[in-house]
Amino acid sequence: MNLSTKPMRTNPQIHVSRGFSRAWLLLLVSASFLAAEPTAPKAEKAWSFRKPTAHELVAVKNESWVRNPIDRFVLEKLEANELQPAPEASRRTLVRRLYFNLLGLPPTPEDVEKFVANDDPNAYSGLVDQLLDDPRYGERWARHWLDLARYADTAGYEGDPDVPHTWRYRDYVIDAFNTDKPYDVFVTEQIAGDEVFDIMGAGGLPTATPERMVAMTFLRLAPFTEPRGDETRHEMLSEMTATVSSVFLGLTVGCAKCHDHKYDPIPTKDFYRMKAFFATVQIAPPAQGDIFQIGSPMAVDFYRPDEKERTTTGRQAAEEELAQRENEFDSLAKALQKKLTEARKADEPIPLSDVRRAVGRKAKELTAEEIERYQDLRRLKTLLRARIRRLQPMAHTLRHSVGPPYEPGVPTSHVMVRGEYDHKGEIVEPGFLSAITGNQQPAKIRLDPFKRWPTRGRRLALAQWIANGENPLTARVMVNRIWQHHFGRGIVATPSDFGNLGAPPTHPQLLDWLALQFVTKGWSIKEMHRLILNSATYRQRSSWKSEKGLQVDDANELLWRFPRQRLEGEVIRDSVLAVSGRLNPEQFGVPVFPPLPEEVDREIKWNMSKWDTANGPESRRRSIYVYQQRSLNMPFLDVFDAKVLDMPCDQRAVSVTALQSLEMYNGPFVNTEANYFSERVKKEAGAEPRKQIERAYALALSRRPTEDEIDMLREFMSSVDSPDTGLVGMCRILMNTNEFIYVD
Amino acid sequence: MSRSELERTRRDFLCKSWNGIGALALGGLLADAATASSDRVNPLAVQPPQLPRRAKHCIFMFMAGGVSHMDTFDYKPVLQQLHGKELPRVPKIRGELEGRLRFAHSCVASQWEFARHGESGRYVSSLLPHLSQHVDDLAFIHGIKTDNQNHGPSTLHVTTGDQFPGSPSVGSWISYGLGSPNQNMPGYVVIQDPRGAPINGTATWGNGYLPASYQGTVLRSGKTPILNLKQPPGVTTGQQRKELDVLKKLNAKHNDARGGSTELDARINAYELAFRMQTEAPAIVDISNEPDHVKRLYGLDNDVTAGFGQQCLLARRLVERGVRYSLLVHGVQIGRHSWDDHSDISGRLPRHCAEVDQPISGLLTDLKQRGLLDETLVVWASEMGRTPFKNGSLGKNFGREHNSWALTMWMAGGDVKGGTTAGATDEFGLRNVGRQIHVRDAHATILDLMGLDQDELTYLHGGRFRRLTDIGGRVLRDLHM
Repeated sequence: MNLSTKPMRTNPQIHVSRGFSRAWLLLLVSASFLAAEPTAPKAEKAWSFRKPTAHELVAVKNESWVRNPIDRFVLEKLEANELQPAPEASRRTLVRRLYFNLLGLPPTPEDVEKFVANDDPNAYSGLVDQLLDDPRYGERWARHWLDLARYADTAGYEGDPDVPHTWRYRDYVIDAFNTDKPYDVFVTEQIAGDEVFDIMGAGGLPTATPERMVAMTFLRLAPFTEPRGDETRHEMLSEMTATVSSVFLGLTVGCAKCHDHKYDPIPTKDFYRMKAFFATVQIAPPAQGDIFQIGSPMAVDFYRPDEKERTTTGRQAAEEELAQRENEFDSLAKALQKKLTEARKADEPIPLSDVRRAVGRKAKELTAEEIERYQDLRRLKTLLRARIRRLQPMAHTLRHSVGPPYEPGVPTSHVMVRGEYDHKGEIVEPGFLSAITGNQQPAKIRLDPFKRWPTRGRRLALAQWIANGENPLTARVMVNRIWQHHFGRGIVATPSDFGNLGAPPTHPQLLDWLALQFVTKGWSIKEMHRLILNSATYRQRSSWKSEKGLQVDDANELLWRFPRQRLEGEVIRDSVLAVSGRLNPEQFGVPVFPPLPEEVDREIKWNMSKWDTANGPESRRRSIYVYQQRSLNMPFLDVFDAKVLDMPCDQRAVSVTALQSLEMYNGPFVNTEANYFSERVKKEAGAEPRKQIERAYALALSRRPTEDEIDMLREFMSSVDSPDTGLVGMCRILMNTNEFIYVD
Repeated sequence: MSRSELERTRRDFLCKSWNGIGALALGGLLADAATASSDRVNPLAVQPPQLPRRAKHCIFMFMAGGVSHMDTFDYKPVLQQLHGKELPRVPKIRGELEGRLRFAHSCVASQWEFARHGESGRYVSSLLPHLSQHVDDLAFIHGIKTDNQNHGPSTLHVTTGDQFPGSPSVGSWISYGLGSPNQNMPGYVVIQDPRGAPINGTATWGNGYLPASYQGTVLRSGKTPILNLKQPPGVTTGQQRKELDVLKKLNAKHNDARGGSTELDARINAYELAFRMQTEAPAIVDISNEPDHVKRLYGLDNDVTAGFGQQCLLARRLVERGVRYSLLVHGVQIGRHSWDDHSDISGRLPRHCAEVDQPISGLLTDLKQRGLLDETLVVWASEMGRTPFKNGSLGKNFGREHNSWALTMWMAGGDVKGGTTAGATDEFGLRNVGRQIHVRDAHATILDLMGLDQDELTYLHGGRFRRLTDIGGRVLRDLHM
């Protein structure tokens, strides 16, 4: 092994536990090569393919630190490395940490003081329970899931057409988190919501509940381009296979589409056996006139509380407005037609299409106002039609084919050589991953007693194999994701890759223990939160300096302190609004379109844009409701790494750039809100600068300012033109501090 | 240990025993090698090239819509005899074109004269009188294949190496590999056609799975070339400086109390950088001080050429200021300003060509005169070529279909050997002959010319070490000096 002189560029995402010395690792590698040389031994199952095992809870030296079994596993590793855990964080820090972690919003000063003053020894766990019951919890945690679901409101590619009904899936996910839907049910509904119920009679095929139909939107969220027959279907089903595998199983099965997996024991045949579960998927054909041909939604009733009434009212209002705008547009078009006909001295009225062209060309016979009015009305009509479409009782979902005599029966599935859609290889039956089951037997597909629907039950078989306590991956992968969103990093640092190229778990026994607890506790996600949040591990200080810690484990993989985390783009935006007092807390419903920066707005104004800008309180809803347009992300969210997704994202990037500073300091959004923030401060604290600074700190940073900070800010406030300018400046400064977007 | 060796040892080892210890051990080495070789606190810190190459900057010009290669650079005299007739031999082609080939497909000859130019004697059509003066500096690749006939996927294929969305664009890879010499400006700048956006919008310059710092930043014309450069309403520079000083002190106190974190430190510096960017970026786009003869060189005095001329002039100014990668887009996704000439090619194509011909020529001349061409790789590309047979009737309004087997690209500058050619299309210009050149070969060549090795420039994502060229491209050595 010689060291290359070429600099290598690769991401340092893979970490190992620092218990080994570097030389020892090298030795280990060389020794293993030697040992492995003579024969290729039969592959032993990797850790993640074996079922989690219950480990004895170990004894630790510092028993008094332990609040629950999680702490034993963590402390055992710390003690083995001669490390001490950090002391418990202050109540003020903890309340802020919990609010951001569970709700994605800062606590109000009153929330903070109430908790800080509460002497009850159970105050902390009481707060955890309170926040888990808060309906804003679902909005925060659904966003993590939407990242995995590659959620968007448009199809991507050419024209990036609107997909009007995906928002119902977003609401489904928020509900699922808020109601603590058991994870095994959550999984099954998204993969096979239409196949869950048993058919006992011989009548027609009963339809699945609306909620389960909406859940399956998950399978249809990939970007989609105009269909090209077999090729598109092959790519679509392959994407489903790869996404289901990475999201639920934490395996990069998609790598085996074209060749056997390079690192994991996943042969290409297994990819196509897995894909065969999706072979009977049926998508409604595109509607006539759908030029992008992305496939139709299906009729699915509204089922959420008040949803039917809300959508009906909304639709009626939009229809009325549309009728009115159409009238206005028609009369304007006729007026312009007359004007142009006269100007051109034509014998007959020129066609209306010529009017449109004249407007497009900005013909000199027309005034700027006429052109603008015409374009505005035309655009408004398009946007209103889109609004009406979104409010129809439809869902962007799919179903299983109903089979003969109505539709084709079960198709034959093949391995597609090199992943090419037209290169059929060996025939395969649907089957589970041999790396886990140890064989390539066909899966048992349970049909109805009368075998009337031979195309039914495939996805259900897959879903039940995944959503199963016997599956070695499902529970581990999900508890790891939950852990990741509490500590910023999973026990397995590659949350969607539990294969050989993924990072090994830093605390394998803890991971197994959590996975077993998850299944035992009925796949309850909230129970997992409770366990983790009530641990001493979670309650450690983040600002803890330990020379030994930095020396032995500078990446803090052993958790000798709590990892400080930067808020996501959505949380930063929501927090700015919460602090200015202008956050609109309304939940659920069709997507919202906050104003875009002037420059962007001007560019897209007449450019087939779907951005239906709202300027009122609608624009200040939480970011999870912002329209996810694949070709246009809100610049504010974009700079803070909150992307509109094309493929599952298991971990947000955390970048630090000058564009973020420009957005936060100069940008119109923060400055507008900083103004409202200052007005709020003035109203709540009066005209005295010291009081103002104290109130602003309480609102933005959940704490009292130090004397030093007060002096510094007062000096600044008195050095500018007017007290108001100074106050706005102070508010802007606080929103720009590191403390505002980094949570201890 | 290099990536390829590592790959090999890792694979060997893992094939031999699936015990995972190997992965663990090698993982540690990987992490170490990466941290040792690069300073990742500032994602845009300058990184040394992996290969000794002259180019430090890259200007990528993308013509949106699919340029007709046989009407510009890929001369096909046989079509003159076949005009109005069917192709004598219909080659077997899979995919969408297969369907199109089944219908009547009258060939159409190029309506423009071709003549030989320069010492290399290359044929260029009369549509490009200025650019044809530079042929001895250009290296051509003909018959490049992309995997999809539609604009969206094929554009992504050329700009990101993958026809599906979600992968980093070429400029993102180069910024990731080399960092940015000018820390007051983004390392990767996009100058759009002032008339509108290309297909796929921002995905064209997206960072995909790489960190956001590597995405292209759109440079707008006018006083706010980058979003949010203007100070907050009513705030003077003096007040801003005061606020930033207070902010800096508060942040420093915060960071001290936390033992000094590099990430928190980076954010403190980012504010200073943003402050400098406020003056630097508008200065870059302010071309009022350019002398008239330079403006004329780029065609700024002519309405037809002024649009792309300004984009090209800005690109030179970005190179001078150390911006690593500029993407210039010409053409709007759909409509009259797209190179997608399905109809009326005789009216549309001369217009598109006239819009870019003098500006590109001006850029090459200007770079050369300033000695910058040696350190700047210039790439010209589109997402596909077009068919030798027609769309529409043979009257005045005919155009040409999509053809993803025959894209022409050219490169200049850096270590490019002018006057050379790689790849060729058949006598009709329908598809390639000889060894297939795929778009990943072009990408491998671009990376190589920028001093980056396609095998060494990787990013672990979704269980694979991903790279721009996916399964690996072939560096086209013929084009190198």
